[in-house]
Amino acid sequence: MVVLELKQVKKTFGSGHKQVEAMKVTNFSADKGELIAIIGPSGSGKSTFLTIVGGLLTPTSGDVIINKKNLADLNEKERSKIRLKEIGFILQASNLVPFLTVANQLKLLDKVKKENMTKSQLEELYEDLGISDLRAKYPADLSGGERQRVAIAKALYSNPSIILADEPTASLDSDRAYEVMELLKNETKNKKTTTIVVTHDVRLVEYFDKVYKMTDGVLEQVK
Amino acid sequence: MFLAINEVKKNKLRFTLIIGVLMLVSYLVFFLSGLATGLENLNRESVDKWKATAIVLTEESDKSINQSSLTVEDAKDIDVKEVAVIAQINLVAGNGYQKTNVSIFGINKDEFIMPEVTEGDVFKEGNEVIASDALKEDGFKIGDELSLSSSSEVLTIVGFTDKARFNAAPVLYGDLETFNRVKFGEAADVNKEKVNGIVIRDDNLAAITTNESLEVIEIETFIRSLPGYTEQSLTLNFMIYFLFVISAVIVAIFLYVLTVQKISMFGVMKAQGISNNYLSRSVIAQTFILAVIGVSVGFALTLVTGAFLPSAVPVAFDLMRMLIYGLVLIVVAIMGAVFSVLTIVRIDPLKAIGG
Repeated sequence: MVVLELKQVKKTFGSGHKQVEAMKVTNFSADKGELIAIIGPSGSGKSTFLTIVGGLLTPTSGDVIINKKNLADLNEKERSKIRLKEIGFILQASNLVPFLTVANQLKLLDKVKKENMTKSQLEELYEDLGISDLRAKYPADLSGGERQRVAIAKALYSNPSIILADEPTASLDSDRAYEVMELLKNETKNKKTTTIVVTHDVRLVEYFDKVYKMTDGVLEQVK
Repeated sequence: MFLAINEVKKNKLRFTLIIGVLMLVSYLVFFLSGLATGLENLNRESVDKWKATAIVLTEESDKSINQSSLTVEDAKDIDVKEVAVIAQINLVAGNGYQKTNVSIFGINKDEFIMPEVTEGDVFKEGNEVIASDALKEDGFKIGDELSLSSSSEVLTIVGFTDKARFNAAPVLYGDLETFNRVKFGEAADVNKEKVNGIVIRDDNLAAITTNESLEVIEIETFIRSLPGYTEQSLTLNFMIYFLFVISAVIVAIFLYVLTVQKISMFGVMKAQGISNNYLSRSVIAQTFILAVIGVSVGFALTLVTGAFLPSAVPVAFDLMRMLIYGLVLIVVAIMGAVFSVLTIVRIDPLKAIGG
């Protein structure tokens, strides 16, 4: 089942002779339960792709369809709602709120999403991500790997249909990077989520069902 | 509220500083309001005690009681429920040890402006007076014989009454005969019908006199016309109003700096779909919590300070006025937070997450 679809999507910045084509005309689709990598060097257009898919950036042309809803038909408030309910973000920099404990990071989502997880679902999430013992800790007290696991827990909270991860392993050593990828893979398969990971770390390609390479704004499937 | 409370709990020192600033501003506002009320009372408390609705003075007196001159007969022409005649003069009184400015009220003791005696007796014989208890604090006591400036009469204090100051001077209440002897000396008999004003207690002030040389002045207008009263009140009230503005600016600056430091965090939250509305409500709630704590501590501190001040300091706390000022401080603090709310609304989540 197709969860995400890009039809003839293109993004240019600037105008006239200063115009830059950050993403050339692109068609893309992702099914439920797929773990997809977008690889490529810095400045190739990976982040542009991710922000368009996440509804943060409006494409110059084309349609972005998430669960049969065309983002072009929605206003900012509705797109914000889609991001809240249907997309989980994992960012390169920690996306944790510095003054909230791990437990409260999830409680905040509970309050804004208004789609409460049951106590057992929440316990399962804590257990799956191995963060049960970190509940009372603040982000500053966590290691890089622990912070990223909490960020994944936040992204997975209340089962979004799409997870978008921007360089989730960038600040981690190899062991921690593999650990995080293992987690993402397990959660994607267990919860039938569609996960798109933007990375330049080619060591991780073995974890993905599909791998796309972005070069100068052109997206092509390499696996 | 959830974000607001948790942030305050985590960053206690930072928010204690903001609360401290709000507390100091509110302390100053409350103290100035106490000073304003105290100074107002110095001028008006004997008039407030009449519980009157108006006073009749001569039209040419320009609302000044000691420039007004009318007669007891004029009071009979005034058609209202309750009237009381009053004569007034300012003098210096001394008991041999200390001298002080006083305002002498000549009244009829069977009329409604006769004050209640809190200590001692009512004046009975000539030259007996009831004194403001403010004189008691200055060392005057029952039985003291008071010599007066520009009069050879000697008055005897036979009792005290509370809340009896007029235009910043303690009041001596005596009967009209005593007053006339003090004011006119040997010519007292000739002037025995003269008074300065007629005090009225009646809700209907329309058409109460046909005498065009008389002016009916509502009590609040009469008080505002007391020398220096309005100027003094306006000065203190302007200081209070400026403090409201200053408090809004301080809160706005503090919160704006805090918000700017959190732009990236708010950006990430917005990227995750958390609405401007939720984040704005959080900032407003946080400001409300800080303002309520700061203003409450400032309020308590003002009352504690007031309890230890010497009686010479003219401070009087009007709780209703303080409550209103406290609410205004909370409201202006929240208005100060609007800047931060606008900043949050303008944050582009794409820039904040480095897209």
